[in-house]
Amino acid sequence: MIPSLVTVGYHRSGGRRLRLYVPVVPVLLVLSPLLLIAVLGGLVACVIFRISPLGALRGAGRLLCALPGTRFEFEEGRTAVQVSVS
Amino acid sequence: MNEQRRQILEMLAAGKITAEEAERLIDALERQRPESPPGAASGPKPRPKYLRLIMNSDDPSGPSRINIRVPLQLLRAGVRLTSLIPDQALTKINAELDKSGVPIDLTQLKPHHIEDLIDQLDDVTVDLNDPGTEMKVFCE
Repeated sequence: MIPSLVTVGYHRSGGRRLRLYVPVVPVLLVLSPLLLIAVLGGLVACVIFRISPLGALRGAGRLLCALPGTRFEFEEGRTAVQVSVS
Repeated sequence: MNEQRRQILEMLAAGKITAEEAERLIDALERQRPESPPGAASGPKPRPKYLRLIMNSDDPSGPSRINIRVPLQLLRAGVRLTSLIPDQALTKINAELDKSGVPIDLTQLKPHHIEDLIDQLDDVTVDLNDPGTEMKVFCE
């Protein structure tokens, strides 16, 4: 299953806390024209570099489907960043 | 029917215990059942799903902390992508690695080898302790 929500959090000590919820499917729909161009570009690159386009699409799909559950948290001094995919 | 339950019912039939006592004994047996008997083989260990990296550091500039959780499935998907690398690229990488003193032939490294490696990551725990820094890599 592809990710449904990406959460990006940013916090500075003493500053305000920012938390951004990005719904993946609506964003993909909005960006679909650009995405289509990117996919076409990728397919052309596959042909140029003699990579199986079907294999590349399948691999990218697998990678996308494996993303849910990923979480990164970085805290450096007074700054903290958190990225979570669900 | 197990042996203990049969004994209780036989005692009840023989009139050695009353129905209430038999019920209490059977209840006690039921309570014991969820506990695994000593010496019995434990069930299969659940397979870990995530690779975790946790780092805590107390730098003079301020403490830093890293907490990363990556699904093992993502590693597997990434490994499968490596099979798409064209042979000529692998040859060039091999040449560069050889030049740098790392004689590894990547053409011999097949995706299923790396998948086997990932499968064995389950029991890996890496602990690094340095004054002021602590890092742990494990699967959960």
